[in-house]
Amino acid sequence: MTLDDFDDDCCLIYGIGNAGRQDDGLGWAFVDWLQAEGLCSNAEMHKNYQLLLEDAELISNKDRVLFIDATKNASVESFTLERAAPKMDFSFTSHAISIPAIMATCQQCFDCLPVVHVLAIRGFEFELEIGLTPAAQRNLANATAYLSSPRS
Amino acid sequence: MSRKLVIDPVTRIEGHGKVTVNLDDDGNIVDARLHVVEFRGFEKFVQGHPFWEAPMLMQRICGICFVSHHLCGAKALDDMIGVGAKSGIGVTRTAEKVRRLGHYAQMLQSHATAYFYLVVPEMMFGMDAAPEQRNLLGLIEADPALMRRVIMLRKWGQEVIKTVFGRRMHGISSVPGGVDKNLSRAECDRLLNGEEGLPSIDEIIDYAQDGLRLFYEFHEKNRSAVDGFANVPALNMSLVDAEGNVDYYHGMLRIVDGDKNVVREFDYHDYLDHFSEAVEEWTYMKFPFLKDLGRDEGSVRVGPLGRMNVTKSLSTPRAQEALERFHAYTGGAANNMTLHTNWARTIEVLHAAELIEELLRDPDLQNEDLVVTPAPGAWVGEGVGVVEAPRGTLLHHYRAGVEGDITFANLIVATTHNNQVLNRTVRSVAEDYLVGRGDITEAMMNAIEVGIRAFDPCLSCATHAFGQMPLIVTVRDPAGKVINERVRSVTGS
Repeated sequence: MTLDDFDDDCCLIYGIGNAGRQDDGLGWAFVDWLQAEGLCSNAEMHKNYQLLLEDAELISNKDRVLFIDATKNASVESFTLERAAPKMDFSFTSHAISIPAIMATCQQCFDCLPVVHVLAIRGFEFELEIGLTPAAQRNLANATAYLSSPRS
Repeated sequence: MSRKLVIDPVTRIEGHGKVTVNLDDDGNIVDARLHVVEFRGFEKFVQGHPFWEAPMLMQRICGICFVSHHLCGAKALDDMIGVGAKSGIGVTRTAEKVRRLGHYAQMLQSHATAYFYLVVPEMMFGMDAAPEQRNLLGLIEADPALMRRVIMLRKWGQEVIKTVFGRRMHGISSVPGGVDKNLSRAECDRLLNGEEGLPSIDEIIDYAQDGLRLFYEFHEKNRSAVDGFANVPALNMSLVDAEGNVDYYHGMLRIVDGDKNVVREFDYHDYLDHFSEAVEEWTYMKFPFLKDLGRDEGSVRVGPLGRMNVTKSLSTPRAQEALERFHAYTGGAANNMTLHTNWARTIEVLHAAELIEELLRDPDLQNEDLVVTPAPGAWVGEGVGVVEAPRGTLLHHYRAGVEGDITFANLIVATTHNNQVLNRTVRSVAEDYLVGRGDITEAMMNAIEVGIRAFDPCLSCATHAFGQMPLIVTVRDPAGKVINERVRSVTGS
């Protein structure tokens, strides 16, 4: 999968995070990078603090979705790019809901399901401060380089 | 040996809370308390910022009711620059209507979240149902058609908010003395008529009645359980217009008793003459009460139930019809049934939808007179704003120095007003469900949460007294031994 796969109006690119919380801004930073580089200009792009249940309706209008979020998972060396599957994981609060639960809601309520990928970029610091740490910036650069590379 | 039951955290409310029920040797309840154990510090760290930043900063208190904080702060700023309600000048009709539109959209969306996402799963599956079923995602599996309508209702509410404030969360519209943008006819028509993926106002008003229908069905089947759950007498408070009807954006503060007699009505700018706030060492949330009545007699209930108890009528036809049924149920007396808060909430969802329709059809929204510029020397430097937020009466009070930097901020949020009634509710439920029973079941634990959740408390909004609250900082060595401890009392010593 490359970014070319998402340069279409049937695609959604959705950065999750908070730029005021250091590396939690990785998801937004990825979207900012796309826009600065003029990449995927035909795709619909969003940046939000967290997913809301209404995002089930949003993704129901798309064929392909790429979510980008920071991860604290120490087993992630730099970033991971994986296909997500719907699952009612009962993670809901009014402030947060998981990507699998959003997909399951889309499937249940709107009778459709886009192909969803999740780009999880390793972050390290999540305190009240603007700006990514150098290590997170390196991981962001790794992810953007990987997705920009043509592959057979 | 006495027992202590601790429910921590209370799920499906905003912020974090802790409930403690203290039992004696015989299993009788000695005490029941809702502890609020987080704090935010907004009143403190806003100090030193330019006064005009306050509505932008304060709305960050909450990701749910940010519009209420934004507008409440804006009203206080109107006062500060000398064009607010206190001055007798007031913002333009256009500005007030734009603000009201955003406010009503917030009311619709926030109530829809609280009711459909947090309360309805309990109604549909029962308090005894397994937690993995008794939640929103269980509801989606059980009734996807209903939830599709709810999602579209919320989406439409968000679109109204986005149209007014520029963003669906933490947008900005209000400035000192008015608003920075009106609404075009095309923007209004889009929201009225809908488009692909966006419902029309007619559909929204239909969806808005889903809540009432669900409540009526649930109530019909569970009347004694609903009516008998945490019946807690209290005074009721709301902003009202000149006719004594609820006004979510502006008005006088009216307080009524159990027979709906008006026990107090005053200009909210004078709140310090009427209210005092008590503190307890076991919670960060304060307890406001009417000074002359004292804490036991003078604590008030705010929010949907309080408002529907105070208001004589509602300004739109469908909501008025629903209110008449609500009022008739208690034969004219105030309704103290905690779970009827959800009934009141559904009435307000409908009222908000109808009010939004009225405004979207109002040509005043296209006017260009958005801001009132204060006359030279009009600067007051102090302001109080009050709105009826979804959860109840919200108050912001700021003072600023001659350079415009904020020197003082006081917030009383709805959940704080409700604190005493919340604690009474916890005790009432605990007495009904926990006394004399051997096992502490999930349903018994959840009954307390249901009581709390009826208020839709926003504990993260309600705890913002950094620098004034009791605070203990303890330093431990790697073995867990305390090597240093600093305690600050409620007086700041």
